[in-house]
Formats: sequence, C-alpha cells, structure tokens
Amino acid sequence: MKSRKKYAFIGYLFVVPAVVYMLVFIGYPIVYNWVISFQDATALTLRQTNRDFIGLANYTTIFADGTFRAAILHTFIYTIGCLVIQFIFGLAFALFFAKSFHLSKPIRGLVVISWMLPVTVTALVFKFMFAQDSGIINAILMNLHLIQKPIGWLLNGNTAMGVLILANSWVGIPFNMLLLTTGINNISKDVYEAASIDGASKRQQLFKITLPLLRPTIMSVLVLGFVLTFKVFDLVYVMTGGGPVDATEVLSTYSYKLSFELFHFGEGAAAANVLFVCLFVVALIYLRTTTKEE
Amino acid sequence: MKKKHLNQKQRSVLCDILAVIICCIFLFPMYWIVVNSFKLDSEIFLHTPTLFPHHFTLQAYKDQLGALETTLKNSVIIAVGSMALALLLSVPAAYGLAKFRIKGKKILMLVFLVTQMLPASLVLTPLFLIFSKLNLLNSYAAPILSTATISIPFVVLMLRPGFLSIPDELTEAAEIDGCSPISAFFRVVIPISKPTVITAACFSFVFAWNDLAYSMTFNTNAKMRPMTSAIYTFMNQYGTKWNSIMAYGVLLILPCVIIFVTMQKHIVEGMTSGSVKG
Repeated sequence: MKSRKKYAFIGYLFVVPAVVYMLVFIGYPIVYNWVISFQDATALTLRQTNRDFIGLANYTTIFADGTFRAAILHTFIYTIGCLVIQFIFGLAFALFFAKSFHLSKPIRGLVVISWMLPVTVTALVFKFMFAQDSGIINAILMNLHLIQKPIGWLLNGNTAMGVLILANSWVGIPFNMLLLTTGINNISKDVYEAASIDGASKRQQLFKITLPLLRPTIMSVLVLGFVLTFKVFDLVYVMTGGGPVDATEVLSTYSYKLSFELFHFGEGAAAANVLFVCLFVVALIYLRTTTKEE
Repeated sequence: MKKKHLNQKQRSVLCDILAVIICCIFLFPMYWIVVNSFKLDSEIFLHTPTLFPHHFTLQAYKDQLGALETTLKNSVIIAVGSMALALLLSVPAAYGLAKFRIKGKKILMLVFLVTQMLPASLVLTPLFLIFSKLNLLNSYAAPILSTATISIPFVVLMLRPGFLSIPDELTEAAEIDGCSPISAFFRVVIPISKPTVITAACFSFVFAWNDLAYSMTFNTNAKMRPMTSAIYTFMNQYGTKWNSIMAYGVLLILPCVIIFVTMQKHIVEGMTSGSVKG
C-alpha cells in the first residue's frame, strides 16, 4: 500500500486519457447540444461561427408541434409496454432456469445471444416476419384459422407499436433474465434449506424469500431497463421509421428527423434535450437505489 | 421413495422439453435470417413460407457482391479501429481505477455508468456540427471516434473488478525487480488478465460493428458506409428483396455469433458486469 501512495500520480496517468476522451466526445457535445438548442441552427447557418441566439424559440416550436407531443407519449407507451413484458417474462424465465435440470444452463446461456446482434438486423427480421405478403406470422395465423386474411401489422399504428415492443422484448427478455439470474444466484442456499426444514412450501419460499431478497436487483433491473428502452432509436428507425403516419414516432427518431431530414438542428437538439431530461430523472433514481444497495 | 424419484425425473424431463421450446422460439428469428438468405425471390413470395429452402441458392449473395465488398471493408475498418482506440484508453483506465488512489474515484465510476445510459441522439447533432467543421464527415475517423464512446465506459466497468482481484504483491514484486508501474502493467497485469481483456476487445468490436446511428449520420457517402447503414439504405430502395436483405443480415450477425459461441462464458459474465456496475 505504501508504494501505491508514492506512485499515486501514475494512477492519474492511467485514468486521465480515457476521462479526457470522454469529456471531449461526450461531455463537450452534451454542453454544445444545449447551446445549439438555444440557437438559430439550420442548414443555412451550419458553418457560421456566430449563430444567433433565439432563446427558447426552438423549445416553444417543438412543444407547439403535435407530432412532438405525440412522440413523448409514444416513447412512454413503448417503454412501459417493453418493461412490463420483459420484466414479467424475464423473471419467469430466471426462476424457471434457476431449477436444476439438464438443459437449464446451456439454454439460459444461449438465448442471450440476441443481445449481441446488431439491432438493425433484429429490426429487419421482425419486419420481414410481420410483413403482410411474405411474413411467416400471417401464414401461421392463417393456417391456424385465427385470421381470415393477411394483416398489415406495420401498416396500422397500434399493431406497429405492438410489433416494436415484441421485437425489443426478443432482446429484453433474455437480458432481464440474465440480470435477475445473477440476483437469484446471490441468495444463499442456506436460507432455502432453513425454510424447507421449517416446512415452507415452494410457493411460500418464492413470495417470502426469493422476491423480497431480490428487491434491490429488481429495482435496478427495472430502472436500467427503463433507461435503455426509453432511448430507443435503431429499432424504431429501421422497422417503422416512425410511421405509419407518425404513429410510432419516438423522441429519438423525431429528434433525428428534425436535425438530419429537415436540417432544423436547433429543434433537433432541443428535442434530444427533452429526452435527456426524462432519462436524467430516472438515472438519478437508479443511482440512489444502487448506492443504497452498497 | 421410488415413486418420488421417478416424479422428479419426469419433472426434469418436462423442464427440458419446455426449455427446448423456449430456445426454439428465441432462436427462430436467427434461423429465419439464415434460411431466407438461401432462397430465391419466388420462393419467399409463395403463399405458405417454406421452413427450408426448396431450391438452395447463393443468388442473393452473388447479387450483392459488388456492394458487399466495400461495405464489409468499411465495417471491418470501423470496428477494428474503434476497438483498438477503446482498448488503448479504457484498459489502463480500468486498472488505474482499480489499483490506485484517485481523487473522486467514486464519482468517476458513476460518470462512466451514466454515460453508458446516454442516448446517441443526444450527441448526434453536436458531433455532426463538430465533425462537419473539422471536415471529418464521410471519413473513417468520424464513426471510429464516436463509437469508441460506447465501448470505453462499458469496458472500464467490466474490467475493473478483475483488476481489483489481482494481488498487489505481483506488481510490487515486478517493481522491486526494477519495473516501473507502467511496464509492470504491460508485462504483468495485461498478460494475466488476457481472457478478460480479449472479452473486452470482443465487446468493443461488436459495439462498433453493430452501430447504425453514428455511421449513418456522419457517413452519408455510399462508399464510406458500413454494412448496417448499407442494409438500411438497401431496404429503403428495394423493400421486398428479402433474400438479399437477409444475406446482408447473415454477414452482419456472423462475427457476433462466432464471438458469442467461442467465448460464451466470458461474454455472458461481461454483459452483467459491464452494464450494471463495476
């Protein structure tokens, strides 16, 4: 430990480059984004060094825009829909795979592969499976006589949102399962042994031991899930592009459109900041729960 | 006693069957990508989709050969460049945060954790303006520099616990033998942490390889596009050429699948420690 103290400055040598890099490419852009959001930044003024400051005009413009307000709502609907599905199934799978049977570990390890795949491809294959003409989902449902004619899943606002939530759950369920499994494994086996000696049934063990002891994990899984889902971009952008008729437009896709399709950089930056504020509030809650855990 | 034993065995078999069903449902989309990349257009538009290609063909791959060559090369350059940059910065940072007294260490770790949760949309507009001023749009530098910001916090959080568990005696012994702390890091710490550093490399590669938002925004020139944004553009132009789209998809998921299968245990561990906290 003594030698460590002596070389303390070398510690900074290890850490500083990464910190400086993140400050330059994330810290500075975040600040710059706030600046842009107060400026008249469009394609015309893009290369100007002194853009006019226009106060809150960009914010009043986007909040007056019905599509933007709808995008906030869609983002929440999407996030809550995903959270409910991926948490319930994630927990069910975690409990199921926590049992010891032959294939429990190999299969539990295998299904998380979806987390590693490019979201672009996930979006495309779900778009293909739910396509009206050549989609396998319509073919299966028609074969089972559940529907009479092919449904245009992505051509209707409500079903399109449903398909987006489903596609995200394909990644979200295994990921939630993985995080919850870690929590379940951290519960000491002795507790269950003592409980079963005292005559506690499996069901009692689940509700009186597993779930209460899993509470901190559940909290952080939910908040982490919220943050990761709320910022969705690739999935929505590739699968529906915010359509049909803005029905699945979310904050990040709308911000992207404002900046890079309409070239209203100021408004795009403002929309991204609204997204940031929503996330920031939830991230604060997350930090409180994880620091309490320690 | 015998009856109970049998029940348990039956139950276990039942669980196995259920697990296989779950597995099949979850792996089906991947299967669907692969199978359809080997079909002809006409087969995809049959009234009932075929579970196996009746007429196995590489046509979809051949059709895209010209475009694939450029975009595949771009993807590899961006992913490898981003990986190298991210490792160069984050491996020492993780070690520094694990083994040295640093002021505000806790806050730094929290900052890394929070940066990970930030949406790309938040920095897209400012980075676009910055890169545009620096004339870095449509270059390899723009996506490399921006995707490294995804990997750095993840790798720092993922590697720190491993570095923490290295006994101080090891590096101290090296320092007594005349190594500086920096050469002890390269000669002792890195070699014994090889498996986790390789895992970190895999994650950094995959994060950059999978990126769409940054590369699509900064590199609009078709010659500079990686595969993710090329496949997206292709889909917008030829919305129903599903076999070609899936052929792109196969090549895109291939490195991720290879990495996952060969180092599954490390990857799964890394996923938890990297995305939750160090």
